[in-house]
Amino acid sequence: MKKVILVADDSPSIRKFVSFALAMKGFEIISAADGMEALEKLPDKQISLVITDLNMPNLDGFELIKSMRSNDQFKDIPIIILSSLAGSQEIQKGMEIGANSYLIKPFDPKRIVYEVSKYLN
Amino acid sequence: MKQVSNMSDLFERLNDLKVVFRYGQRLIPIIQSIIDFMKETVPLLEDINTSIADSTSKIPKAKDQISNVSSATELATTEILDIADSISTDLDKVDKDLKALLEKEEKKKAVWKGIKNLLGNNPDAAKLTEEFEQLDDSLSVMVNFRNVFEKIKNDVYNITLSLQVQDITSQQLAAVNHLIESVRQRLSSLVMHLDETELNNIELLNVDSNDDGTFNPDAEYTKSMDKQDMADSLVSQSLNKASQDEIDKLFS
Repeated sequence: MKKVILVADDSPSIRKFVSFALAMKGFEIISAADGMEALEKLPDKQISLVITDLNMPNLDGFELIKSMRSNDQFKDIPIIILSSLAGSQEIQKGMEIGANSYLIKPFDPKRIVYEVSKYLN
Repeated sequence: MKQVSNMSDLFERLNDLKVVFRYGQRLIPIIQSIIDFMKETVPLLEDINTSIADSTSKIPKAKDQISNVSSATELATTEILDIADSISTDLDKVDKDLKALLEKEEKKKAVWKGIKNLLGNNPDAAKLTEEFEQLDDSLSVMVNFRNVFEKIKNDVYNITLSLQVQDITSQQLAAVNHLIESVRQRLSSLVMHLDETELNNIELLNVDSNDDGTFNPDAEYTKSMDKQDMADSLVSQSLNKASQDEIDKLFS
């Protein structure tokens, strides 16, 4: 059975880009345009990993991670932050609230495949 | 004596009055020039006010145009990614078929070797087999094809990699839009201070100022790995700290 990855990003091209890189490696991708939509989609399928942007409307990436980490059902799902925010404060905050990895945009798809494989293989 | 003193006092006052009048006479041209200046300035201020109001009313259109550019490039990028995805899928299929063909060719080569052995030292057969071998270069052609396909795949990959510029550009455009919106708000408040009646005409204050979505004004398109290296180092520190905390917790 294919492992399911949830990609939350308000940019359709980035969602497509991540899907493009990971679908080739045999993962099933579910997309969400913001944190709120991601939270709504989380219970739908057995999500194995979440890749999230930080700057998103309605509910940003930080809040999404906090919500996931405070929910018993989703607290153990690995989370990779994928953001253009490259300041040390954002990176430290992201890690403190429970992210597992932090990737900076623009990113190398090989790197994202590597990070995902680290948690799913 | 008292009457003389009163008269002297009166003359003194009249003298003072005369001085005031003289001073007033000198002031009149100055006051006149101030009035003239005001007369000239008021239309100028009205012009400035109208000009600000006019410029301010054009800002939402500029914002819309920037947003449209962003949406158009987003759509185009998604379409290119779809095509790149399709090319990659097709290349994978062709590559798979070529791999199967190559395996068959290898088997054919082994069979051919057997046939050649069976033909023995017949000179006519040797001549024909040699001619056949010279014509049969499908194996090397297939290997070349695979190399070319591999190169195309890499090129497609690099195109998709470069398309991330769209996301960064759209964030920068959103930052510009946000800046324009700030200027618009300042200008519209200035118009309001200058002439409140103009405000109704330009209908600006109800424009939604949060339509830029979210953006990072410092987003930049770079192939340098410096930022990622820094992030990796911070992530690594954070993970080590976490594991140290876990160890401390275990022994507390």
